[in-house]
Amino acid sequence: MSQGRFVAKRTLQGVGVVWGVVTIVFLLRFITPGSAINAVAPLDATQETREAIARELGLSKPLYVQYGEYLFDLVQGNMGFSYIRGQEVTSLVFSKVPATVELAVAATVVAIVLSIPLGVVSATRRNQPVDWLATLFSLAGISTPNFWLGIMMILVLAVQLGIFQTSGRAVAGVTVLTSLVGPRSFLDTLVLWLQHITLPAIALGTYFTALITRLTRSGMLDELGKPYVRAARAKGLPETLVRYKRTLIGGAVITEAVFSWPGLGTLVIRSINLRDWPVLQGSLIVIGTSFVLVNIVVDVVYAYLDPRVVNE
Amino acid sequence: MVSRRVIQNLTSEFRDSFLAKLGVALVVVVVLVAIFAPFVAPHNPTQQNLDASQLPPLGFTQVEQKTTSEMVDGELQTVTVNETVEAKLEHPLGTDGLGRDMLSRVIYGARTSLIVGVLGTLFAAFVGVPVGLIAGYYRGRVDDALMRFADVSLAFPSLVLAIALIGLWGRASVPVPDPFVALGLVSGMPETFVLPGTVVVVVGIVNWVWFARIARGEALSLRDQEYVKAAKALGANDSRVVLRHVFPNAITPIIVLATVQVAAIILLESSLSFLGFSGTTLSWGFDISQGRDYISSGQWWIAGMPGLAIMISVIGINLIGDWLRDALDPGIEGEGGGA
Repeated sequence: MSQGRFVAKRTLQGVGVVWGVVTIVFLLRFITPGSAINAVAPLDATQETREAIARELGLSKPLYVQYGEYLFDLVQGNMGFSYIRGQEVTSLVFSKVPATVELAVAATVVAIVLSIPLGVVSATRRNQPVDWLATLFSLAGISTPNFWLGIMMILVLAVQLGIFQTSGRAVAGVTVLTSLVGPRSFLDTLVLWLQHITLPAIALGTYFTALITRLTRSGMLDELGKPYVRAARAKGLPETLVRYKRTLIGGAVITEAVFSWPGLGTLVIRSINLRDWPVLQGSLIVIGTSFVLVNIVVDVVYAYLDPRVVNE
Repeated sequence: MVSRRVIQNLTSEFRDSFLAKLGVALVVVVVLVAIFAPFVAPHNPTQQNLDASQLPPLGFTQVEQKTTSEMVDGELQTVTVNETVEAKLEHPLGTDGLGRDMLSRVIYGARTSLIVGVLGTLFAAFVGVPVGLIAGYYRGRVDDALMRFADVSLAFPSLVLAIALIGLWGRASVPVPDPFVALGLVSGMPETFVLPGTVVVVVGIVNWVWFARIARGEALSLRDQEYVKAAKALGANDSRVVLRHVFPNAITPIIVLATVQVAAIILLESSLSFLGFSGTTLSWGFDISQGRDYISSGQWWIAGMPGLAIMISVIGINLIGDWLRDALDPGIEGEGGGA
């Protein structure tokens, strides 16, 4: 199969998965106890509001018509209306995306910067103290709940030593870049940004640092000549990547909760606590779709780097 | 089933690996502590004692600033005194904000984590393995449908899917009588153990796909083996072939996966109870969320101790997972090479 056909095939599969994601999210409305109207209306809504919402959602229409209308709205970028917040879901959800992407990218940078040297050192000095330390670190890293790590770092580095902020996101990463040309002081903005993002990025990044350290080590040992490890890596790497991406987004949700980071994760949790299902549905669609997109990009890059994948 | 060669690999790897021994030791301790919690715990984990609240663990002292204001000659005078809080021998890991014994809470928390971890994994395996075996054995449409469904459910991170489902279904908890207390072997301990039922079901639902995928992969490669073909040629029907010839030979990777899943589900459960989506108030994640409120005033142990407990248990299980993987199949998860 050619590279071009592979990309086309993966994209088509991706569209199918997104369709599945949307369908499951649509059906979520109906697995909640009570009628679907309860999932959308505020708890204190009047009878008139409830009837208006029922009309708006077309709840009296047959299921396939509701589904069709839901898909039709989605394609136009309309994910419904949050009656609890009085806001359009689409704009609300997308306003939270940059913060989460920023956190995920920062965590990935932390993970790559720390893990590759660790893994290389660990593999080249096999069974020496430094290898033991790296092994111990990576073992602890994949076994520690990242929310707990976050809280402990808040305790030591924010509360006791006061180096970092305990919560929130004072400036966006983009603002740091624009301050290079704008009226704000670049250095002040950079410091402010670092004070907020460093702890959540490390809390989220540690698990992946550990995971990649383990992978780099076995990858290096492969280069040092162990055929069975090579087979293992050929089979295992795509699977690990799948885990990586899933855990990155899941981990971001809880890291955001610990550091009050105003992203998608915080939005998801607040929506559930408020019983704001339209926003929950919108967030799930955005999370699922972005996962599929990243998947396609990674697969294509991976296929480019390792052409054997295309022929599987 | 498990062949003699497998047993030999396991024992020789175990003999050579310090980490495998450490893992088994850690897990055995955690399991025993969880089972015999009422005997091991020094106090009732739900017993509040406001006179002994926020005591530090042994070896630590906590300095608390107490501010008192009083009117002296018509003027408000504020006096701040530093008060030293000493650790007490009866609370070796200290006490939480309501004076409950941290050691006892950590011990009882092990029950919640292990039961959810094991039941959730069993649930996921009981759903995933048959589905995967059938899909891999028959291939065709069943298989396509399964793989597409797996792709869709993998698009949602486990934690996000889990909190969405729990948010929709509510937090059902099932009180189970503690057998030791019911038999009168021990008194003064909680009479029931609260099983977070929804959490067990939900972690099973979000994890069954892993079992389905691995069972499918095994079935796909086993269905073309000579002995499977031979069994079919001799007239064995499909269910007999799958049950007697395919499943037993797929069991090894399923066991390795199950081990890793217990660790993953313990972490997932702690995240859920940390976020308030559990259904029990006696779990490590719940205590970490309680302890979070005491971080800014420096009482680190309330969140710290349960976190260490999670770490130790999960390290133990992961070490066992590494041992099994190294001994049985270097191919799973891309993690070949000994520790």
